[in-house]
Amino acid sequence: METLQNLSLGLSVALTLTNLSWCFIGVFIGTVVGILPGIGPPGAIAMLLPLTFKLDPTSAFIMLAGIYYGAKYGGSTTSILLNIPGEPSSVVTCLDGYQMARQGRAGPALGIAAIASFIAGTFGVLGLMLAAPPLARFALRFAPPEYFAVMSLGLTMVAYLTGKSVVKGLLATFFGIWLGIIGTDLFTAQSRYTFGQVELVDGIDFTVVSIGLFAVAEILVNMESRVKADLFKLPKGLRNLLPKLQDLKDCRFAFVNGTLVGFFVGLLPGAGATIASMISYGIEKAVSKHPEKFGAGAIEGVAAPEGANNSDAGGGLVPLLSLGIPGSNVGAMLLAALYLWGLRPGPLLIHEHPELFWGVVASMYVGNFLLLILNLPLVPIFVQILRLPYFALYPMVLGISIVGVYSVNYSFLDVWLMGFFGLLGYLMRKLHFPMAPLVLGMVLGKPTERALRQSLMMSQGDFTILFMRPISATLLSAAVIILLSPTVQRLSLREKKGPQRV
Amino acid sequence: MKTTRAFIVIAATMVVATLAVTPVNVLGQGFKPTRAVDVVNHSRAGGGSDLFARALVQMLEQEKLIPPGWQVLNKAAGAGAQAMAYLAEKKGDPHTISVFTNTWVVTSLTVKETTYTIDDFTPLVRMILEPTVAVIKGDSLYKNLKDFVEDAKKKPGQLIQVGGTVSSVDNLFRNLIQKTTGAKWQYVDVRSGGERIANLLGGHMHIYFAQPAEVSEHVRAGNVKIIAALTESRLEGLPNVSTIKEQGIDVPIITQVRGAVGPPAMPKDRVQYWEGLFLRLTKTASWKKYVKENEVESAYLNSEQLGASLKELSNQLRETLKEAGVKVVR
Repeated sequence: METLQNLSLGLSVALTLTNLSWCFIGVFIGTVVGILPGIGPPGAIAMLLPLTFKLDPTSAFIMLAGIYYGAKYGGSTTSILLNIPGEPSSVVTCLDGYQMARQGRAGPALGIAAIASFIAGTFGVLGLMLAAPPLARFALRFAPPEYFAVMSLGLTMVAYLTGKSVVKGLLATFFGIWLGIIGTDLFTAQSRYTFGQVELVDGIDFTVVSIGLFAVAEILVNMESRVKADLFKLPKGLRNLLPKLQDLKDCRFAFVNGTLVGFFVGLLPGAGATIASMISYGIEKAVSKHPEKFGAGAIEGVAAPEGANNSDAGGGLVPLLSLGIPGSNVGAMLLAALYLWGLRPGPLLIHEHPELFWGVVASMYVGNFLLLILNLPLVPIFVQILRLPYFALYPMVLGISIVGVYSVNYSFLDVWLMGFFGLLGYLMRKLHFPMAPLVLGMVLGKPTERALRQSLMMSQGDFTILFMRPISATLLSAAVIILLSPTVQRLSLREKKGPQRV
Repeated sequence: MKTTRAFIVIAATMVVATLAVTPVNVLGQGFKPTRAVDVVNHSRAGGGSDLFARALVQMLEQEKLIPPGWQVLNKAAGAGAQAMAYLAEKKGDPHTISVFTNTWVVTSLTVKETTYTIDDFTPLVRMILEPTVAVIKGDSLYKNLKDFVEDAKKKPGQLIQVGGTVSSVDNLFRNLIQKTTGAKWQYVDVRSGGERIANLLGGHMHIYFAQPAEVSEHVRAGNVKIIAALTESRLEGLPNVSTIKEQGIDVPIITQVRGAVGPPAMPKDRVQYWEGLFLRLTKTASWKKYVKENEVESAYLNSEQLGASLKELSNQLRETLKEAGVKVVR
């Protein structure tokens, strides 16, 4: 009852014409920021912050939050159409989304991304609304050993992402982990594999690697065969531009999976949407009846990570608004904004400024709806990009990639590195190395190492700390089961069919 | 040919005329930026130095000390290294300055890849000293830092402090206190302030050396309490919290500094402009409000004083870093 009253207070705040307009402006800017690779929500919010000082804090927060979750909708667009990950959290979307585009299903892919985002985003807000304070207390039970368990669980997804050759899959994973290690040692501040370059002291940005591996490598592969009549099958007729009822049915589980994984990972400060999207993709493939379709244009492979990416926003706002603890760069920016507007974000914010909390919650329902009706009509328009001839399309892709990579750190070394990873991606494709494990290794390697070393610092080097705590013990057991199950499956298959090459 | 010559004549006349109209610049008194200034910082958007730079620009604008349009540039790589390299490139450019913190000094001392160190730049002003306070969970039984240290002596290595990197002020304080008292406890480096507070609130770690503003809301809600000020004298905003020295733990005090530096070898008149501008800022209402809300100490020093103070800080940090087991390369 109280929640309903509060929600009606929130709606009365969010549905005023002013706040509706700010919400629309926010989600619109967010969509654009999401589509453009490189520039992310923290940068966009930093740029717009000075303009918000004259606004009412609630209106301003509604707008900035709109940028935050709006960017998550836009991120999938370039991933699907051009194989350029618009945001790090949309890298996984490239795997199946781009394949769908090549099969003439760009429309359904973009459509399902928007729908999954809408469903997961809305349920994420529901979680934020119904249970923010208890959920925040739950998140506090996660210390480094629990983080290590979550990250290990994520790394076990490699078992499902390797493709045909386990060896190649593991090699790619370890190479990814090594890439993540480059930079400064987390605790002793020693440089690792920096080759004396100042630019490498902070490591290689994930955006640089992913744009190189996906977008640039794709161009190289396609340049090879001089005459390829239709790289993209063009969708014919309006009906093929949107997902069909069957597609929605196929994605039922993906919606649930994405929502839950994204929200849960979002709750944990410092974990991040990229990790959420990868874990949900792995789960989706693990439970799928046709895992062989993943990586070749499975629509669930788009729906699950895009959903996870979006419910992460609702999850991430839980510790931010109920405790004043930001979980990501965007969170830190939003927190700073609250300070600059003269509010005091912290455990008392919800009680002292209910109109802000409930106004933002209500605006997020509205915002997700706005994003859906903003994004679906854009689908047919975006799909037209694929009509461009290659001599126009590829320079454009390369241009967007260079600008995107350069804008991460304003460093030219990053642009060269992107080229290098483009070549590497090309070689990997030729030698049939899978990309997904590399990306997973790079994203999860460093956080796993960090959590492990933090755990051992807590316990003075005693490994049992990882197994003595109930949450981490449970998660680690789950990780072991996941890791062993494909092997068991394979063995039992081999017994049935007799010996064969694996 | 004729037109070219005429053009040269006109151009030359114009140059002479300009020089005649604006003699101040040439004579070197009263430099003033002629276009929007770039304020560099070594954080990503939302980080400490980024917010400080943005707050400075915002206050200067609000107090009408500068025209609108100044930009904040993020050069976040290498804990100050990239920002230093960028600022060094801007030698001679009157329209670029940077904010700095202790991090610049520490990076200069410990990162061998950096081509430039804090000594290469023109010190402009010190603006702020950020005090450190010792924070524990609200329901913890310790009444002051002394209790914590005594408990740590009883169970060496069992208590855990959460904080920033090994070279951060928090860890240096830990080493200093351990050395004087003989107590031993663990230190876990956790990336962001938010995660550190989460670990404290979750009861996984036991003490955090924080900046007062970071924890003030949690103090107000009763989730955490402040048990000592790691400062020379009691803090204005926390008159009931005794200092570490009052509690009988005598350690040298390291303070987090924030201020501004310019590109190498900046001419005197430009230095004077920046000194004047920031000194005027410290007298404004916006500044006073900022200092109060963020619970920091307004601590203006001019260029010469800052130069001397940075040398001192550098020496102090070199010794403490060595003691903390961090490899010092310079």
